[in-house]
Amino acid sequence: MTTPSTEAKLRETLGALAAGIEAAPPAYKRARAEWRRRERRRRLVLAVLVAIVFALADLIGLWALNQTRDHDPIIFDDRSRIHQTEPAIGVIPP
Amino acid sequence: MTSPLMRAVEADEALASIFQTEYAGMVRLAVLLGADDAEDIVAEAFYQLYRRWKKLRGADAAVPYLRSVVCNLTRMRLRHLQVVRKHTTPATAPPPGSSAEAEALLHDDQRALVAALKELPARQREALVLRHWLGLREAEIAEAMGISAGAVKSHTSRGMAALTRVLEERR
Repeated sequence: MTTPSTEAKLRETLGALAAGIEAAPPAYKRARAEWRRRERRRRLVLAVLVAIVFALADLIGLWALNQTRDHDPIIFDDRSRIHQTEPAIGVIPP
Repeated sequence: MTSPLMRAVEADEALASIFQTEYAGMVRLAVLLGADDAEDIVAEAFYQLYRRWKKLRGADAAVPYLRSVVCNLTRMRLRHLQVVRKHTTPATAPPPGSSAEAEALLHDDQRALVAALKELPARQREALVLRHWLGLREAEIAEAMGISAGAVKSHTSRGMAALTRVLEERR
């Protein structure tokens, strides 16, 4: 069961505790310079990561293409149609 | 029509103003929530605000956003400290949220209340501090904590019941 006195006591205690905390803001310019430095670093790290992933994907693709035999198509394989015999019925040669 | 340069200057001025007016309050909030490194948490919160400034609804949304980041970072810090305490001996691990200088000025009753507040789960403590120190409404507390208004009511009443029990036991 909560009582109004607990609420009042809590409010008073939190107020007293907060009043005892010294907190002066540092210079804004220095803080902003630090945020900018962190932001530049974050973007640089992100760009490097994207470049690494892109390069890895390229290398994996090139390696996969290099593993295939010369006359072995890996993307489109139309050999079945090339070697398929023409249907004899229904086609009249000119 | 404002140019991007004008917008950047306005944003910088607004951010500078918020930094000057809200910094101390945010440090106090972090300490009351139990953070042991309140200034680092507030510095990180202001960096997050700087990064997300363009995505905010407006300058009015900056302070609630800052409050929300401070709450989240403090909760994460307390969880980290709990894990650290599990893996270290009690003698080497400092108590979380030690604001010893501020607590030295309190009466015995107030110290007992602060000790009881520290024992509460982080969510209950957050709800009580935001309600009774900042005097926020339920909807504002819900926004700061990222939970529903019903959950705020529940955390507040459970936390207050626990504190009342502690005070009654002391009598």
